Amino acid sequence: MSNRAGQATAFMAITPIVAGKEDELRAYLDGLSQDESPFALLPRTHFARWVILDDWNDEKSQPKKDHLLSRYLIFTSNFDGDLSSYLDELCDKLAPQAGELWGRCVGCPDGAAGEALKEYLMHNKINTGFFVAAYPHLRVGDVKRALDTRARLIDFAVSSQGMRPAELQSAFNAEFLLTDGSR
Amino acid sequence: MAAADVAPVDRADIQGNILRAYGKAYDRTSYVFTHLEDPAGGREWLGGLLSQVTSDQERPDPKLRPDETLNVAVTYSGLQALGVPADVLKGFSDEFRAGMAARAEILGDTGESAPENWEDGLGTGQAHILVTINALTSQLLERALDALKAGVEAAAGVTIVYHQPAQLLDEVREHFGYADGFAQPAIVGVSEHKLGGGIPEEGKWRGLALGEFILGYEDEDSLPPGRRLPSAPAEPLGRSGTYMVFRKLAQDVALFRKTLREAAALYENGDEEKLAAKVVGRWRNGTPLVSSPDAPIPGFDREDMSNNAFRYLDTDIDGARCPLGAHIRRANPRDALGWEGLDDSGLLAYRHRIIRRGMPYGPSLPEDAVEDDGEDRGLVFVCFNASISRQFEGVQTQWINDGNAFHLGHDKDYLLGDSSTTNKMTIQGKPPDPPFFLAPQAAFVKTRGGEYLFVPGLRALSAIAAGRWQ
Repeated sequence: MSNRAGQATAFMAITPIVAGKEDELRAYLDGLSQDESPFALLPRTHFARWVILDDWNDEKSQPKKDHLLSRYLIFTSNFDGDLSSYLDELCDKLAPQAGELWGRCVGCPDGAAGEALKEYLMHNKINTGFFVAAYPHLRVGDVKRALDTRARLIDFAVSSQGMRPAELQSAFNAEFLLTDGSR
Repeated sequence: MAAADVAPVDRADIQGNILRAYGKAYDRTSYVFTHLEDPAGGREWLGGLLSQVTSDQERPDPKLRPDETLNVAVTYSGLQALGVPADVLKGFSDEFRAGMAARAEILGDTGESAPENWEDGLGTGQAHILVTINALTSQLLERALDALKAGVEAAAGVTIVYHQPAQLLDEVREHFGYADGFAQPAIVGVSEHKLGGGIPEEGKWRGLALGEFILGYEDEDSLPPGRRLPSAPAEPLGRSGTYMVFRKLAQDVALFRKTLREAAALYENGDEEKLAAKVVGRWRNGTPLVSSPDAPIPGFDREDMSNNAFRYLDTDIDGARCPLGAHIRRANPRDALGWEGLDDSGLLAYRHRIIRRGMPYGPSLPEDAVEDDGEDRGLVFVCFNASISRQFEGVQTQWINDGNAFHLGHDKDYLLGDSSTTNKMTIQGKPPDPPFFLAPQAAFVKTRGGEYLFVPGLRALSAIAAGRWQ
């Protein structure tokens, strides 16, 4: 069991949804925009999701159907650094969303924010069995910077085509040399 | 696989110009879309056309060929307008039922190419039946069109909503100046002789199963015979039918010429023709770069099938001859994608083949002109396949509009691009030469409209006209 891979951490919490609140919660999730994801407020996040678990999937051959006693909200996130400080950020910056989501779950503290919400999430934490991070030693910012550098390098290769060596060197320095003069 | 193991081709039941082209003698075409107000009136009008529909059997013997040919295809809204019941409609593929306009986002038809900017009559559900007429001369085409129009006027609730004429250009080239349309899939029982059009296998070539293109026959997945046939609409509608993609693609020839000319200033001492060849993967006369990287073969014979029997892995794995992102290497990667390393079986490519029967429209831009003359010109792209999503859309979305499969990042097909930009193109150099880059550029090709259609077999057409669904 490990919640860590390199410097990255995995977190999962499962919380029962208050009976009768499922549709509101589902509608709220449906209304979220991928272009303005709330997870963007937590810049340490690699991947995260909220899932509503309605029921078991039954197998036709089983003699009696199994049912969950409640619907559940599952939250998972893979992020940079340690859990405690990440949950602090979540409970602070995602308070409006938390109210809409965990505020409809059984046992959620009033207001669904701050230290009380953090304790609630920790109480419902499920440990991860096996966790792989694609970039275990790179933070989100490192990955974004690397992609940006790659794009800039490609643009530079295209735009500098045909330059003479001296011109190429000066164009390269102008584009990529750090402002303090170090490389 | 012996041809005798599979069902023989029922040529009399398959519409013409699908498996075998009518040929360049029929150098002019009209695409006429009609709208049906009333199911019974529509079926009656369709019934009146039945005797004129050209099948694959009537392949024009030069001496006996008909003056003109007529073929019929139906959009999903057309099937509804003809009164096809819901339980039969369910048997048609999801992408066909959704229609091309609904797939615009994944096809790259956005911005100026978006359906809201398409020409009137296309992509709105108004276009129901496509009648395609090919003719030997313009007089014959006019005569056939007059007859069609008279029939439409006499019919109850039938109107023409779109008409696009098209005509072959000199030397069977498209507007950018490239020989076009001669490399087609080799099909078992139809055209195995088309070397290089089939599947590369153990140093040889084999034809594709008929079911890749015609419904009701074994495809590559249902072979060996006896396995389940690919999904198709229920009898009698599905048998001998196929799906058709119709796209009107406008080409900015002046911009293409200007771009090549300016870019070639930095390329191999201004070798514009070589740069033009690198973009497509063939010299303009059709000579493949893989077999002739330095110059086109004079008098290149595109009818000689051995000229199309080239591969990538053995001679050009790095793209030093034909760039990894060249148009023909994207549209039909042959063995270039490999399989479990460097197997040359073409396993990742052969389920994504299409039969192309496009035709240029509009007048040629005068030779050497680099300023646009304001004329509308381009290609009426037409292709046939048994699965639009696997074949046409697979090629368009994964290979033409994306570079991932070829390890080319976000690069798209430089020739086609998408609605907004071509992105850059990398032309691999022969080591130690560096690569050459074509800079991102406003797209040369814009989509002006399109439809997904179903081309019923002849018996299926009769059944539709008679309102007989089972």
